[in-house]
Amino acid sequence: MERKQAEYSNLDERYAIQGEKYQGQQYSHIYFTRLHHMRNLLHALVPSWKPHLPVTTVLGLEEGKDCIIVGTLYKHMKLKPSILDEYSKERSAIPLVKPHNFMHPDDHLILEDESGRVTLAGAIPPAAYVTGVVIALHGKETSAGNFLVEDILEAGIPPQITLPSINEDKYVVFVSGLSIGSEKFNPLQFQLLIDHITGHLGDENEQSIASNIVRVVVAGNSVHISPRFFNGQAVASKDQSRIAEPIKELDIMLTQLVASLPVDMMPGSNDPANFSLPQQPLHRCLFAGAATYNTFSSCSNPHQFELDSVRFIGTSGQNIDDLYKYSDAKDKLEFVERTLRWRHLAPTAPNSLGCYPYTDKDPFLVESCPHVYFVGNQDKYETQLLQGPEKQKVRLICIPRFCDSGVAVMLNLRNLECSTLSFSTSFDA
Amino acid sequence: MSSGGRGGKRRGAPPPGPSGAAAKRAHPGGTPQPPPPAATAAAPVVEEEDMMDEDVFLDETILAEDEEALLLLDRDEALASRLSRWKRPALPADLASGCSRNVAFQQLEIDYVIGESHKVLLPNSSGPAAILRIFGVTREGHSVCCQVHGFEPYFYISCPMGMGPDDISRFHQTLEGRMKDSNRNSNVPRFVKRIELVQKQTIMHYQPQQSQPFLKIVVALPTMVASCRGILERGITIEGLGSKSFLTYESNILFALRFMIDCNIVGGNWIEVPAGKYSDLVSHAAEGEHSKMAPFRILSFDIECAGRKGHFPEPTHDPVIQIANLVTLQGEGQPFVRNVMTLKSCSPIVGVDVMSFDTERDVLLAWRDFIREVDPDIIIGYNICKFDLPYLIERAEVLKIVEFPILGRIRNSRVRVRDTTFSSRQYGMRESKDVAVEGRVQFDLLQAMQRDYKLSSYSLNSVSAHFLGEQKEDVHHSIISDLQNGNSETRRRLAVYCLKDAYLPQRLLDKLMYIYNYVEMARVTGVPISFLLSRGQSIKVLSQLLRKAKQKNLVIPNIKGQASGQDTFEGATVLEARAGFYEKPIATLDFASLYPSIMMAYNLCYCTLVPPEDARKLNLPPESVNKTPSGETFVKPDVQKGILPEILEELLAARKRAKADLKEAKDPFERAVLDGRQLALKISANSVYGFTGATVGQLPCLEISSSVTSYGRQMIEHTKKLVEDKFTTLGGYEHNAEVIYGDTDSVMVQFGVSTVEDAMKLGREAADYISGTFIKPIKLEFEKIYFPYLLISKKRYAGLYWTNPEKFDKMDTKGIETVRRDNCLLVKNLVTECLHKILVDRDVPGAVQYVKNTISDLLMNRVDLSLLVITKGLTKTGEDYAVKAAHVELAERMRKRDAATAPTVGDRVPYVIIKAAKGAKAYERSEDPIYVLDNNIPIDPQYYLENQISKPLLRIFEPILKNASRELLHGSHTRAVSISTPSNSGIMKFAKKQLTCLGCKAVISGSNQTLCSHCKGREAELYCKTVGNVSELEMLFGRLWTQCQECQGSLHQDVLCTSRDCPIFYRRRKAQKDMAEARVQLQRWDF
Repeated sequence: MERKQAEYSNLDERYAIQGEKYQGQQYSHIYFTRLHHMRNLLHALVPSWKPHLPVTTVLGLEEGKDCIIVGTLYKHMKLKPSILDEYSKERSAIPLVKPHNFMHPDDHLILEDESGRVTLAGAIPPAAYVTGVVIALHGKETSAGNFLVEDILEAGIPPQITLPSINEDKYVVFVSGLSIGSEKFNPLQFQLLIDHITGHLGDENEQSIASNIVRVVVAGNSVHISPRFFNGQAVASKDQSRIAEPIKELDIMLTQLVASLPVDMMPGSNDPANFSLPQQPLHRCLFAGAATYNTFSSCSNPHQFELDSVRFIGTSGQNIDDLYKYSDAKDKLEFVERTLRWRHLAPTAPNSLGCYPYTDKDPFLVESCPHVYFVGNQDKYETQLLQGPEKQKVRLICIPRFCDSGVAVMLNLRNLECSTLSFSTSFDA
Repeated sequence: MSSGGRGGKRRGAPPPGPSGAAAKRAHPGGTPQPPPPAATAAAPVVEEEDMMDEDVFLDETILAEDEEALLLLDRDEALASRLSRWKRPALPADLASGCSRNVAFQQLEIDYVIGESHKVLLPNSSGPAAILRIFGVTREGHSVCCQVHGFEPYFYISCPMGMGPDDISRFHQTLEGRMKDSNRNSNVPRFVKRIELVQKQTIMHYQPQQSQPFLKIVVALPTMVASCRGILERGITIEGLGSKSFLTYESNILFALRFMIDCNIVGGNWIEVPAGKYSDLVSHAAEGEHSKMAPFRILSFDIECAGRKGHFPEPTHDPVIQIANLVTLQGEGQPFVRNVMTLKSCSPIVGVDVMSFDTERDVLLAWRDFIREVDPDIIIGYNICKFDLPYLIERAEVLKIVEFPILGRIRNSRVRVRDTTFSSRQYGMRESKDVAVEGRVQFDLLQAMQRDYKLSSYSLNSVSAHFLGEQKEDVHHSIISDLQNGNSETRRRLAVYCLKDAYLPQRLLDKLMYIYNYVEMARVTGVPISFLLSRGQSIKVLSQLLRKAKQKNLVIPNIKGQASGQDTFEGATVLEARAGFYEKPIATLDFASLYPSIMMAYNLCYCTLVPPEDARKLNLPPESVNKTPSGETFVKPDVQKGILPEILEELLAARKRAKADLKEAKDPFERAVLDGRQLALKISANSVYGFTGATVGQLPCLEISSSVTSYGRQMIEHTKKLVEDKFTTLGGYEHNAEVIYGDTDSVMVQFGVSTVEDAMKLGREAADYISGTFIKPIKLEFEKIYFPYLLISKKRYAGLYWTNPEKFDKMDTKGIETVRRDNCLLVKNLVTECLHKILVDRDVPGAVQYVKNTISDLLMNRVDLSLLVITKGLTKTGEDYAVKAAHVELAERMRKRDAATAPTVGDRVPYVIIKAAKGAKAYERSEDPIYVLDNNIPIDPQYYLENQISKPLLRIFEPILKNASRELLHGSHTRAVSISTPSNSGIMKFAKKQLTCLGCKAVISGSNQTLCSHCKGREAELYCKTVGNVSELEMLFGRLWTQCQECQGSLHQDVLCTSRDCPIFYRRRKAQKDMAEARVQLQRWDF
């Protein structure tokens, strides 16, 4: 059987920091750029939202007068961990914070533009917003100097290029959180996945489905390297080679995959890549075997590409995990949806999410709406077809960690439908 | 125009004025006037010591009024519109028209001026007289100035034997003559107003007879007390009696305090002036309604000056460019006025009234107008007394703005400026001005901090980090001028910074409950609030002593303390500490307020002391005296009750009451008052002992203080003996109890039991048993258990503190360097972490391992530089230091590099010790941490090991480990050493850079390679290590810089802060540098 092909173009260029030279800049630039870009968008939307209201700056507020202001949100959080805590006078015996979420009822929002800051009150729930989001607010200044919000305008889901019509089944497989090298990793499980994708498993029917898989995307955290190798202490020589062991194992398995179809390899928070977003592609020297194939492409995180003109965007999950720490939603998909509506993949960067200090751009702005938006390394599989107000259709996918769930996600390019590939090696399953 | 401030003025026919010390209230000016009563100011604007100006009193008032009108003339409209917001509430109509209801107000400040004596109230006197002014605020927030006429300064001498009424009048004439001679240029008609014969008794020593004759000498003006005292002390010839020198009594009491004592007014209490009367000033005790606080207006302000590069701002050169002000009503959470006055334009700031002016003159005058209108009762700030206020005054002088310093509460009075030099460890010696603003209490938070807390640094930044848990953005003064010279945006940036500096003192004031605590302290001790900051401890005790003595008809002699070192006495006892690490519970038995209790129990006082010569003479029966262990004799209370014991009893009873009330109280303001009160009472009770022992104090009496300590010693020994005798296996207890340590007022006992609960039971039993053997009110209390307990030596210990058997309360340490200012942070972290591991985790091997790792990190150059920074204040320039000091030498060197950013006198100089040639002195090896960072200069780990961390570490570990020194400081972990290569040293200019293999450091010939051929196979592993390193740096970079954004409170602006007190300053800087390097490192892999 012949494997189907899909036309692929990599759009990661915007996430490359190759050209950037660090010259001691700070984070103000990235906020400035973001605000500038988003404000233009929001200003354009205001006439259709509340045409009768004047748009002003934080400084131009007049007490009691209804107006619209646009700015970057800052969420003041009592429990937010601070690096200064390391220096606090007395170490407390009990940790004050539950580690997964830093919300507190006293949290409040502040809106900031270049001219100043104003504390927000009224119809804006602090739990749903995070630092770094740019929005427009309708309201008025109170006598206490706060801004009483009446209505909120988000930039909304960006415009979308038309979804091409594809009239045959073509699948893309997403997998994340392999964690090779950790105790949870089950080599057999992953081998089953590989065999399934490469068509070495199952009957003819299954093989024909497998032959429709046009690409595999590995969305981060493929390996797990013990943190003890990086704590600054010298590594004993016998341990030295063990650092790279999981990577070698990954390379061997990847090589099987790339021999039969294209694979996109994205770095995640545990992978040997840089920490701050955008994470740069994993170095090819790590993949002595797989890198020799031209079907192997090492990509950045976030990762953006087109397959047969279907637009994909995705991350290895850090952006959503961070939102989960600093805000609240009914499920992870809602966070994903919010980032689209805010038109920003990672609003909490750089505040609580590591980020390169860009000077003249904010690469995480989402200018055009993707057709597929995937997020790796989540607790469980969730998906939803989001419909935008302008007929945008986006497939949102939370990819579960493979090492925990044994689940990979398969997406059909023809109709953006999604299904799971579940592998289990235990008998009772 | 003028505010409705000075509201409590009333008019009416004067009642017949009672004479003597009764306070009379009066009001100058006769005819009713419409509000606001602008012409009610009484005294001329003069320095009170200067009596030359009295004649022109009337003229000057008028002149000042014209001037005042002129002042207000050229105010622009914008300013005028602000007045309504600034003003005090308008007076109700009946008060404004001068009338008919009681006026109650809380007084904050009492002073006096010299004025013509009041013709109507005091028809019988003429000439200049002292007029007391009580400044205060009513419940409604109206400002009150109550003037008291007819209170006369006086003092006592003991009447020589055989002096009759005729002799007194002759004595009067002689004294008057001598006074005239020594005050030639004074035009007072009579210096000594009268001399009365009174029956009093001296406080010194027990006297069997109730009273003896004293002469009360009343003089015309307060300043004459001193000169009259001088004449009498030096000796005076009295007809018939010959030449005689006198011991004076109560002749060194400040006039305002004298008045308060005689009229029963305590600092910060409520005073009520009944309607229509002038004679009865009612002073309310701080109870019920009258314990509340009036809505004082508190102004917090800060100024910014555009200093020249490399100089500390000087008023002769550097302009004042911004003044930020916040005005808060006492008891309210938010300020009701926030504004900033700027020189040149400034972009608006949300919630802040920005006032921009074209000239510095306008800025200063706007501030003056603001002060006059907003009329603050209390002015607070950080270092305002020594910097901001004098700077403004001097700057106005330089600019020749004569109308500027009219800031006082008396509308047309000029502030008084006195030259002082002040020296402090932080700020060095500096010429300064002491600015007295009439009627407004100055509360400088810096002074309060230095007085009340022992901190490693008193910069506003570290103080607010300590108390508010926030880092303050710090803009270096060399940047301030640049910001000022930029555009309105950069000036706005500066204004935001300035406002923050004005806001922090207010927040500190609130957080530390300063207003409550100080007002309560003033109430308890009876001195004006301003004394609490500006004067020492002894005035507080003296005030109480005088009040009590007055009730008992006793007078206090003016004995100058001799500052001799001979009269020292044996101090408190400390039982030998049996050093060790105790893993069984240690019970602590404490004497509750030991020294006050001893003074009460044994009736120790000035007036109960029987000197040896009197003892023989009086022949007191042994059952009516106590012989103290130090050999002094005091009579028992049934013979004569001591004043000090009585004061103490009252203080402690009041404290008990306050504590009981505190339990009941619900209202947070009431609670704050009560808590402040019980604290003040406790401090006051404890300071009585110190007062008697202060050899240079007001009334030293070493017999008392040495008796107190000798009793204390005896009691500690007694307790030790009882515990070790009773709690034995012979006595039916499980173990023999052992006293392992005891200091001033506590004894630590190891009962031998292994649970906290059992130890508590035995502790309580012991406390009750031993208390029974003491005279009341001495009481031994069981308070806490230490478990485990690390006793290092006397006054040095650490342990977990338990007050209930379930859970320990905290870790308690004493005398262990964690906050010493000349230690680097590494020491503090190391000590804290070790103690935590030893005491809380009970993991001694873990602590040892931690120390070893840290030392290894230090030697391997892996320690964050900011942990190694040592900071010292530069108090004078290099030449003035006798010995060469590391930070001074460094400041010199930095000045040579760049004078603009080098630290100047008053700055704190941070430094690290670097490696240098062998034999170089420590002071030559100091270096600027930033310079070290930028140039990769190696630090000297040996210095840190030997001079910083070894001593405190050994102290902790010696009781625990054998061979602690060998184990910790010389183990195998000290073998590996790594030193960075400096990038600026001379030799590097000749060195050729060659790429080495990242794996094995072999030189690679090819230009674009990373690894040598041997390491090629380890590519993946080596890359992982590099990238792991880089990602750690990136994480740090992000966390550090976003934290700074958070502190500065803005996302869209660059962080400017250069606060070297901030623990992350150097790390942040380093992160920046590392970030650039990390990128280069990673790029080497791009082949």
